[in-house]
Amino acid sequence: MPRFLQGLRALGGLTLMLTSPAAFAQSTPSAAMPALKGESCSVQGLMDQLRQGLGSSSKAYRDYLNAVLREAAVSLPSGELHAAFDRETAPAMVEQLAAALVARSEREAEKDAIQAVARRALEDRDPSVRAATVRAMRRTGALEKTGDMYERLMRDGSPEVRMEAAKNLIEDNQYVYSAHHGPATDMAVNAATASTDPKVTAKILESLDTRRMGPEAGQKLLGMLGHESADVRRSAALALGGVPAAQMGPAREALVGMYRGERDAGVRKALVQGIAELGFADAVPALRKLRSVDPGMAPEIDAWIRVLQSGVQEWDLLLREKQRLQQVH
Amino acid sequence: MVPSTPTQPPAPGPSRGRASWVLAGAGLAAVVAAVGLLWRGGDDAPAPSAVAAPVKASRSPGSHGGGGGAGAAASGVAEAEAAERRFSDQTCFPELARFNDGVTLDSFRDQAAPLLASKDPLVRDYLMSKLSELIGDDAGKAGQVVAWARDAQGAEFKVLLSGLRGSDAVQKPQVAAKLLEAGMDPGLSIERRAGMLSALDSQKRLTPEAMDRMADFARDPASTEAGWAATRTLGRVMARESQNLGDASPYLDRLITIATDSPDEQIRHLAQTAPLHNSPVLDAKTTDRFARILQSEGNEDGRDAAAQVLAMSSDKEQTLKLFADSFNREQSVCVRWALFRFSARVAGRDALPVMANMAAVDPRFQALYGTFETLYAQGNVDFIRVWNELPDQNPFGCMDRHQ
Repeated sequence: MPRFLQGLRALGGLTLMLTSPAAFAQSTPSAAMPALKGESCSVQGLMDQLRQGLGSSSKAYRDYLNAVLREAAVSLPSGELHAAFDRETAPAMVEQLAAALVARSEREAEKDAIQAVARRALEDRDPSVRAATVRAMRRTGALEKTGDMYERLMRDGSPEVRMEAAKNLIEDNQYVYSAHHGPATDMAVNAATASTDPKVTAKILESLDTRRMGPEAGQKLLGMLGHESADVRRSAALALGGVPAAQMGPAREALVGMYRGERDAGVRKALVQGIAELGFADAVPALRKLRSVDPGMAPEIDAWIRVLQSGVQEWDLLLREKQRLQQVH
Repeated sequence: MVPSTPTQPPAPGPSRGRASWVLAGAGLAAVVAAVGLLWRGGDDAPAPSAVAAPVKASRSPGSHGGGGGAGAAASGVAEAEAAERRFSDQTCFPELARFNDGVTLDSFRDQAAPLLASKDPLVRDYLMSKLSELIGDDAGKAGQVVAWARDAQGAEFKVLLSGLRGSDAVQKPQVAAKLLEAGMDPGLSIERRAGMLSALDSQKRLTPEAMDRMADFARDPASTEAGWAATRTLGRVMARESQNLGDASPYLDRLITIATDSPDEQIRHLAQTAPLHNSPVLDAKTTDRFARILQSEGNEDGRDAAAQVLAMSSDKEQTLKLFADSFNREQSVCVRWALFRFSARVAGRDALPVMANMAAVDPRFQALYGTFETLYAQGNVDFIRVWNELPDQNPFGCMDRHQ
């Protein structure tokens, strides 16, 4: 580290040293101040604080309580924590306790703790509790540890639960695996195609990065182009834009072939975007041919052609330039 | 040097920890991974839920629980008890609720002092956020906190400035002006000025005058740490503007001036790498200015960064020619590697003839050329995908020099 940066980091308050909070030399508070003494965390104490604090208007305090429970989870007595989780019925509290169990599992204090959470996500009678436990598994390794839980959640009777599960699949792929774990992508595609809720299917597919998707999942995705819901067709077209090189040919063929027969403007727009992503500058001739099919789409196609001809070699940057172009015009 | 990539290529398989995926999967975001260690912070840090549950590196093979299901099995209890002994205790503050409900801006310093003395990082984070709430969008309160920060010490100084940085009021022109004045005040220590200037990095935008003052200051040989902070703030606000589809060029203009003129190599390097965070498309003038950095910067890390930035030039032909010429003159294999791979970022498959010539000049690049040629022949059209498919993203050990 450069000579003065250590000092800067310390000053800027932008990084935190994870120091042990073991020793507490407490200053004497005045009579008006609360006695701010630190003590060992207990399950009951934390539950009391949470029950009272989750309704606080201070986001800072609510965030603190969430963080402290997750941090304390690894050293809290396992039996007490499980018992509290099993007993609790208020969704907000269940979510906190579930997150604590997931944290134990993630940090390998108790690898199987997440199974209790998964069971409750699938089996609790209250849909709000099921949704809360699903949320507690977001952006964790739950996807690799819970077998067919997500496919089963897709069939949950509650739309809220299905949508929370969809959000997990999206965010786990994006933030935990950075779209680089093919099995995680495939699991999301499988769940999306297994769902009978078009909103959920579209939600998963429209933002899924498919660069590591396997061929079987790729076939399922191609099949979604024929779905009766325009929302699903639109999201499948977007997802197909990002497939691995080996799947690009059939994907391009399918998207170009579908364009002429498609009547929905939103789907057509997604088809154009998918074709652009599959070809970059090479997509320009195909897009030019499609330009006359629907005069209403010509400005959109022209914008894509202009951006693709810039020669930018990264999709995210091309998308940004396209947005910028649209902002100007 | 700015490592342009993660240290290991992504290699799918269940045995790899999730931490590896995060490292491997950032694509070109990982291009600036090492800079990010210095660059990122505060609200740019990973989401709490992502960092709150790290996968331990000590995972033993074959010990995956899989879908075990029986959470309270005997071995599970033993494991849990062992874990309880292994992790240090988190401290709880049962009275924090009363503090939270009762504290005001006026009583904050007195009442927060014993909490700060605990050195508990979660409590410190809480105090920063709580202070932001107490300030709200009140410029008067924010001004009061700036005044306190002029003489506060240690952890309290950090909390005051972080609280201010996260408040709504910091976006008000009069508050930003106060922070800038404090950052430019020669009566304060360099460290304190650095803190003040760093607190401006959450700004949605900077005025031209503020940009000029910060850039001039960063070029002052005496600015050291505070000049570095000013440069970082310019870069961070530029990245935010760019993300919001705003105009990054006024920031970039000042940063290139710092990148060229600062006598301090570290400050220059920070300015040279700043555009890696938003990858602006360079116009002709900016391309020329970065070309000069590529050709004249004595520090090879700076030349490496310049190659990466230049890959976003709108003039592909000129840039490829520049890269080819620079490759021939360049002595550093690491900068040559940057020129070689970023040629593909300039023009994709169309860069292959230039890359073939480079491989003819330096035989160490022949096998690499074959790999790029194959990947493009397979139908890859995106530089990020090509990069992620490389069997070895660090063939010359260039990233290892900075570990």
